[in-house]
Amino acid sequence: MVFSGKGTRPQGRRRARVSPETQGWPDMRPLSSPTRDVPFAGERGAIAPSPPTTFQRLRYRLKISLREPTTVIGIVTALLFAYLIVVPIVSMLTDAVHVQFGDERRIGRPFGELTLYYLNRAFLAPISTALFWTPLLNTLSVAFGAILLSFLVGAPLAWLVSRTDMFGRKWFATALIVPYMLPAWTFALAWTTLFKNRTVGGQPGWIEALGFTPPDWLAYGRVPITVVLALHYTPFIILLFGTALRRFDSQLEDSARILGARQYQVAWRIILPLMRPALLSAMVLIFAKCLGEFGVPYVLGLPVKFEVLSTSLFRSISSRQSGVAAVLAGAIMLIGIITLLIDARLVKEARRFVTVGSKGTMNRLTRLGRMRILATLFAATVFMLSVGLPLLTLFLSTVMEVPGRFALDNFTLNYWIGRDLDSVALRTGILLSPDLWSAAWNTLWIVGLASITSGLLGLLVGYVTVRTPFRPLATFLRQVTFLPYLVPGIAFATAYLSLFAVQRGPVPALYGTSAILMLALMADQMPYASRAGVSAMMQLGKDPEEAAQVAGAGWFRRMLSIVIPIQKGSLVTGILLPFISGIKGLSLFVVLAVPSTDVLTTFSMRLVDYHYTQAANAVVLIVAGIAYAGTLAAQKLTRTNIAEGLGG
Amino acid sequence: MPTITLRDAQKSYGTNAANAVSNLDLEIGDGEFMCLLGPSGCGKTTTLRMIAGLENLSDGEIRIGERVVDSVRQGVFVPPEKREMGLVFQSYALWPHLTIEHNTDFGLRLRKVPKAEREAQVERVMRALDIEKYRHRYPSQLSGGQQQRVALARMLAVNPGILLLDEPLSNLDARLRLEMRAELKRIHREFNTTIVFVTHDQWEAMTLATKIAVMNEGSLQQLGTPNEIYDLPANRFVAEFVGSPPINILGLNGPDGSGLAGAARQYLARWHSGPEGIGSLGIRPEALHLARSDEIPEGSFSGPVEVTGILPTGGSWILELAGEGDPLFMTMHEAPEIDLGTKAHFWAKPEALHVFDTKGQRSTAFDRNVRRSTPTQ
Repeated sequence: MVFSGKGTRPQGRRRARVSPETQGWPDMRPLSSPTRDVPFAGERGAIAPSPPTTFQRLRYRLKISLREPTTVIGIVTALLFAYLIVVPIVSMLTDAVHVQFGDERRIGRPFGELTLYYLNRAFLAPISTALFWTPLLNTLSVAFGAILLSFLVGAPLAWLVSRTDMFGRKWFATALIVPYMLPAWTFALAWTTLFKNRTVGGQPGWIEALGFTPPDWLAYGRVPITVVLALHYTPFIILLFGTALRRFDSQLEDSARILGARQYQVAWRIILPLMRPALLSAMVLIFAKCLGEFGVPYVLGLPVKFEVLSTSLFRSISSRQSGVAAVLAGAIMLIGIITLLIDARLVKEARRFVTVGSKGTMNRLTRLGRMRILATLFAATVFMLSVGLPLLTLFLSTVMEVPGRFALDNFTLNYWIGRDLDSVALRTGILLSPDLWSAAWNTLWIVGLASITSGLLGLLVGYVTVRTPFRPLATFLRQVTFLPYLVPGIAFATAYLSLFAVQRGPVPALYGTSAILMLALMADQMPYASRAGVSAMMQLGKDPEEAAQVAGAGWFRRMLSIVIPIQKGSLVTGILLPFISGIKGLSLFVVLAVPSTDVLTTFSMRLVDYHYTQAANAVVLIVAGIAYAGTLAAQKLTRTNIAEGLGG
Repeated sequence: MPTITLRDAQKSYGTNAANAVSNLDLEIGDGEFMCLLGPSGCGKTTTLRMIAGLENLSDGEIRIGERVVDSVRQGVFVPPEKREMGLVFQSYALWPHLTIEHNTDFGLRLRKVPKAEREAQVERVMRALDIEKYRHRYPSQLSGGQQQRVALARMLAVNPGILLLDEPLSNLDARLRLEMRAELKRIHREFNTTIVFVTHDQWEAMTLATKIAVMNEGSLQQLGTPNEIYDLPANRFVAEFVGSPPINILGLNGPDGSGLAGAARQYLARWHSGPEGIGSLGIRPEALHLARSDEIPEGSFSGPVEVTGILPTGGSWILELAGEGDPLFMTMHEAPEIDLGTKAHFWAKPEALHVFDTKGQRSTAFDRNVRRSTPTQ
């Protein structure tokens, strides 16, 4: 037997082996052996074996925590948010169980005493049916109807847009999202413009003008609200479901196909089950949005006294029933919290399905064949119904003297730029009305300032979260800024009213000022702002800043030369996206604004109330235009998908 | 250049959590190229960050030269920006909004170095690292290897006495990694800095370091030169962690007296006062040899095996040998002219054996006895 390496070591050994003899057994130290020789054996006595005392430890931690402004900033912002977010909500919830000013005689107790009167009134007394239970049922029926409808329309569209070779796929992917960029009550106003009947005064609707009288069920209440909400939230399904479908690895489909499954079997047995969490999550989010929706049920429900929770709450506020309003707002808040807890669960469940193949993801498009034209027609129809028709209706309504009469002499620009009009109050075209410009100015600076502040604070929250050595502070900041997300806007506004309607300590009564609008909007935007800030800082990580630190830069220097310049882009997004959603927001402002602090949205609502249909529609078109242009600009600027601004 | 001294350094996250670093005593001498080597989660990066001041201590003390920079008991903490060190991050952490030139001169600007001097220094460093042609580019326009050079240049520009490197080569491909290793060695000589280098790659540690500190589960396992670490592993962990293919370990704790383990116990009894206390025997793959039973050198540890696998690795070969029960791996540097299924004997010299006690510590008694009875060459 001959082995090549036999008996001797190979000549070309890579590593010279140190022979123990020549090395004289260098200081090799098995550590736990008693002969272990410690590098500074002589100095060891200087260090006591006992752990450091509490005092020493505290002194050291304090020194580290206070060395940089991070922790101080964190504590200050935490206090600020506690005051702007937690205190109003707590104040509102206390209102619900205390005798309110003006109710002393009715309840028979002095002001400020504990009482169950409001809870009883809202949930148990005979009037509770009108105050809470019927609105609750209406809210549920409208929300579920809207969810069902938007699913039926949105799910096929999501699939067509993300996984098929439909004509104009890319264009539709953007076009079908447009309804979400517009305020929801754009559609509500378009609907009344078309279907309004004699139940309410003012100018007749187009259908009525053409000689048919639409029945009440078609003109107002449940059906139109459901349809309008469905149109508005269908983009939600298209976006969320579409994203999930796009990420879906074709290899999962292919495996099923190779095993002999037919296309419908693949869809039913593989794709749908895996998509279920994404779909359910989209639906739950739609529900949460419907819960806080105010403008649509206000415009379409009021004429037939069709009340949902948000309008019932609004009615309680306007009739100064602050106790009942607090109970209702609390109830809306509770439902909102439960809904979002369900969503959090679903998202968690969705993580279990790892359908995101990192490298292997292949997105193969299904060939539609003969169905291609049909599918395209379907998408085009949905686009026409959800964008084209409403906007066209609104626009035409603002340039027509008599609704629904399509004759050349009926068209006029008077409602935009006319003078000395034959009306009681608004005697000029809307563009010439000082009220519009004051509302526009209010919108710009209130929403603008709130967005800039919340954007900056969001980044600060992100910074503190990532950097503070004091973890509980970071956790508190993240959670407190998330809180408004659980509270629908109208309930949050009620909370603000509860805290700031009267003078409290050094803080004057803010109701009727722009400050309350600004503070409320800022707090309401914090969930998005802080989420954006935290994710931006997380993505950046500590490294670039630590590199500057090691290079010798102090805190302010690092902020100015490293952190802020790097985060410039995300700061712009963090300001722009809340700005857009703030401009089209209504439910927060409608409770807090008074005529002198009107923003564009509340101004148009006031015009609706006074039946200045053309003017109201014109204002809504302006808002829609700003919101749409803003969204596009934000997209261009940040090169992101609209899907990311979804939360707003 | 000063020495870095860690005394009894400890770091724990949270009160109940296990220590990320516990009772670490380490001295890093002037001009040393020290590698902190260990598996992920062993506390090596935490140690590095403690030295840099990016992580504070739970107890203990860190000194640079005579200056205490961090001490819980004395309530001293010198922030990273005042420690005058350089640190290259695993992610490079280049500033995306600054050009390569401005990334490089950031530290000099901070120190308010006069313009002419600053430019000369930046020029020198960029030339040394061969990145001067990218000076006006942004980090995102560079490849990983180039970014790595910029990260190094940025730190070298301020001429730090101490350069800390946190797995800086782990994101590079194999070829670049080799180049950068040579580069690091050159920098160590040229810039005359003390380097502390964190890696989980033993090859990197062996090729670069003048000293290696092997860490595991937050504590120091062994401190020594690369050769010491390899040839005289202080415990079973070090023996198993360093070396590729890994060392063969025969567990000798079990009761059974047959097979390879039985043979080993019997063999070791000759060098050791008794078989008690011996936990395991380690033999490096290249210390194993194959021979016919009558060719085995006297006094060596041997046993019958069958060749069950031949794995060429390009230039060398790994043989899988089935002993009685335990598989052994051996490496050969010449093509083995041998067939699968061949029955033969393995053998190894006694001084190539690593004996560990039941706690996994190296048996110094065994080493001493072997040394005494081996004739001096």
